[in-house]
Amino acid sequence: MSTFTNWLKKVFRDRKKSAPQVPFTVLFSVFQKILEYNNQVLELMAEMGTKLGGAYIFDQQYIRSKCHHIADIVYKLIYNLNAMAPKKYLNLYDAFGAINNEIEEELAGRPVIPQTEYTMPYSLITDDFTDVVGAKNANLAEIKNLLGLKAPEGFAITIRTFKAFIEYNRLQPKMDALNELWQKGDASKNQAAEEIRRLILEGTVPPLLQKEIHSRLDRLYQGADSGEVLLALRSSAMGEDREHTFAGQYLSLLNEPRGNILQAYKSVLASLFSDSVMEYRLQKDLLDYQETMAVACQLMVDARVSGVLYTLDPRAPDRDVMLINATWGLGAPVVAGEARADLYTMDREEPYPLKSLDIVRKHEKLVPKKEGGTDIIMVQEDLQTRTCLTDEQMKQIAEAGLMIERYFKKPQDIEWAIDHEDNLVILQARSLNIKDQVAKLVCDISSVLDDFPIIFQNKGSIVQEGIATGKVFLVKTEEDLDSFPSDAVLVTAYTSPRLGKVIKKTSAIITDVGSPTGHMATIAREFRVPTIVNTGVATQLLRPGQMITVDARENVVYEGAVKALCYYEFAEETFETTYEYRLLQRVLKKIAPLNLLDPSEKNFKPSGCKTLHDITRYVHEKAVEELIGLEYAKIGDTARSGRKLKFNIPLDLILIDIGGGISGSSSVSEVKPQEVISIPMKAFLQGLSVPGAWDTEPMSVDFGSFMSSLTRTFSSSMATPKYVGQNLAVLSKEYVNINLRLGYHFNMIVAYISENSNDNYAYFRFLGGVTDISRRSRRARLLAEILAKSDFRIDIRGDLVIARIKKLDLKMMEEKMQVLGLLVAFTRQLDVKMNHEQEVIRLKNFFEDLKNDHIKQKVI
Amino acid sequence: MGSEQKTKILILDDEPIVLKRLKPALEKSGYEVEAFSRSLEASNRIIEQDFDIVITDLKMEGLDGMEFLTRVKDRSPVTEVIVITGFATMETAKESFKKGVFDFLAKPFKLGEIKEVVAKAETKIKGSR
Repeated sequence: MSTFTNWLKKVFRDRKKSAPQVPFTVLFSVFQKILEYNNQVLELMAEMGTKLGGAYIFDQQYIRSKCHHIADIVYKLIYNLNAMAPKKYLNLYDAFGAINNEIEEELAGRPVIPQTEYTMPYSLITDDFTDVVGAKNANLAEIKNLLGLKAPEGFAITIRTFKAFIEYNRLQPKMDALNELWQKGDASKNQAAEEIRRLILEGTVPPLLQKEIHSRLDRLYQGADSGEVLLALRSSAMGEDREHTFAGQYLSLLNEPRGNILQAYKSVLASLFSDSVMEYRLQKDLLDYQETMAVACQLMVDARVSGVLYTLDPRAPDRDVMLINATWGLGAPVVAGEARADLYTMDREEPYPLKSLDIVRKHEKLVPKKEGGTDIIMVQEDLQTRTCLTDEQMKQIAEAGLMIERYFKKPQDIEWAIDHEDNLVILQARSLNIKDQVAKLVCDISSVLDDFPIIFQNKGSIVQEGIATGKVFLVKTEEDLDSFPSDAVLVTAYTSPRLGKVIKKTSAIITDVGSPTGHMATIAREFRVPTIVNTGVATQLLRPGQMITVDARENVVYEGAVKALCYYEFAEETFETTYEYRLLQRVLKKIAPLNLLDPSEKNFKPSGCKTLHDITRYVHEKAVEELIGLEYAKIGDTARSGRKLKFNIPLDLILIDIGGGISGSSSVSEVKPQEVISIPMKAFLQGLSVPGAWDTEPMSVDFGSFMSSLTRTFSSSMATPKYVGQNLAVLSKEYVNINLRLGYHFNMIVAYISENSNDNYAYFRFLGGVTDISRRSRRARLLAEILAKSDFRIDIRGDLVIARIKKLDLKMMEEKMQVLGLLVAFTRQLDVKMNHEQEVIRLKNFFEDLKNDHIKQKVI
Repeated sequence: MGSEQKTKILILDDEPIVLKRLKPALEKSGYEVEAFSRSLEASNRIIEQDFDIVITDLKMEGLDGMEFLTRVKDRSPVTEVIVITGFATMETAKESFKKGVFDFLAKPFKLGEIKEVVAKAETKIKGSR
């Protein structure tokens, strides 16, 4: 207790220096505004987040208007906080300006290139960095890091390096001038292109970047087997490999010696300005910023066998086969179509039987030279007519290819190699464009669908959109997972994180129960596996081994393999690769993540705010602090200092009475519960102190961690008082506004209760804290279900739960406040309890029992 | 199958993403869909061909959506028009309905929502045939 009063004293002392002259009523109305804005920001953020789920159609206009709206509110938040504490938080404007500027740049179509390194090793690259490392690098890094397939060691030379190179050599004005000459007709395309290439090839890579590239190479060579390993440099341009395919138009250099790297790098850059590419860019009206290039720098794979896999025949998708070209040595001639290669035609279904094999005489092969470069040598006589691949290798290539196809949701064109240790290495993967073929093939998708019986539809919720065919595999026990075949549809009663074990082999997932925000949902999304949960019927209606098609867009499960639907899907641009999706995702990164969690942490200051959510959180915390810190008695106002509630439960709650909320003497620093006469607050406290809500049976299950989470929040001797005392209730006779920070949850309750039913309302808002996503979502669901049972109107957005109820008579409103009080007490335990799905049901029943025992419920 | 007359839908929206996502979804539901991002092209198309249902944005560069839907209705009063817009106000909604618009959806909307509206419009058309 003494620490608390010490703290109060300190706050008052600090405050006296600049005691605000703002009357309390004004101050409180500003505080209320801040709360209102705070809610609006959270709701907007959650709303924008749901748009990434795929169910909505939104456009750029939507993203723009929501960004402006949210920025406007955050600005008002800062303004109002500074109105509460004049000029105390001015540097929040700087934080806001910086973040908002980046959002505006994104909206203007100028992606803010993250301040990344000039180079990035594959181990650090994720899909998020596509704009920096180019699609080729990003795809390969995902194949390596996420899918766990073998790919060359290497790093990306990012677009930032390209820009630095252009800047250092002052090339942009010269390039612009040449472009203009060409477009005006004063120079031929060839002349202009050649001149731009010459400028690039004669340019100097800035010394700083030379150093960076070489230090990256040092690290790369450390992991390599010998110092003799040479390098492959491949283009990885913006737009390449995605919707605009410049396939084959940019340069790839093989077997470059290390000493040649800078020249090789410039050569690859220069290929951005070949005649054909310039023409293509003009035709497609591609934006200027796409005239940039990242480069892949990889250790050469000394291939014994190389080739190309098409996971679907691009000329005749309906044959439903995979095509593998294979030859001895390096693959470049096969890729370029210059050399003859064996052609394997394989079934797309496990175990991928060979349908035909076309062996050609392979006279020559391309091999790396020790000193760099490549050479063409004769193939040993007896190998010339022999197949290059074993059955096992064929299957391995097919499996890897389909895994990549499932992930990128498009048939793939994959360059692969088998090294001298017989490892399959993926060199490059890009989507095959089969749009035109599909258009011819599937002219009438809806009539095709008529031929397939629907097993069930519109049951449960879609977690990850997409379409897949496969045989049903029922998983009942964990052991079942060991025999899970590739490309099967995983059907199971309950979701479990353990299913992650087979996720890479899974073509689709259907469950009887489960939540769209659970942990498994996260994994399904990460691996983009079409998933429908909570169908209720899957394990009853689907038979093991049955061939089905899962349409996790329209939420239909068909009997049989509806290949046409898959092709149709292949031809569609995936939602995740659309410009709008990426734009929303990028701006949300500057809006939604919360970095400021703990006010006692060092980063809890305006300069630590990296997102609009951070600013919002900071303002809310400081506004509560400002209000608690007030002591109006001292400056002549009526007794409206914050006073502590003396309570038998561990909840440090400061009360501020703004009129008729507390009886008894106001000079005492503590308020007894019976002195609280505010109608809603009194009811709330009754619920809060229901015996058994704070310390009862469920706690014993996991007593240790429960206690540790308690101390984390409440031990005033251990934590700093500042951290502990942020629970505040402002009350009057009919009104209460309660702000609770329990652990890492933020909970707000506002209610007005009087004799006049029409004015009555109660509002409950709960934002979950930093537990893992599955616990958070279970908690959100549990709260929602409990509140719904008490007739609250519920709105769940992510882990934000909002409940509202209004216009009930006084008695009923009191009961609702009791329920909320009970729920707050109860919620404290959830964090440590919700390890299992079954807990939701158990805890819900437990709560209902408590409620029925202690709160009289009227039937409405 | 496929011999019976399919319901013809024209979509006009200057944001390609809307077309990209709406067209395949409606095609899968059995409609014949043409999509345009330029109002001029769409205007020319409705002269060549009557559509059962027209889905149009209101605020676009070039021809205004309100003007477009007026033209549609003038040419073919039986065509049902569904307005989709990101700038939903009471006035625009009122004006649209005055012009005989079938329904008015504020962007962003769920795929399911628009499919429902389209299905209703189709029912109405078939009922009046």
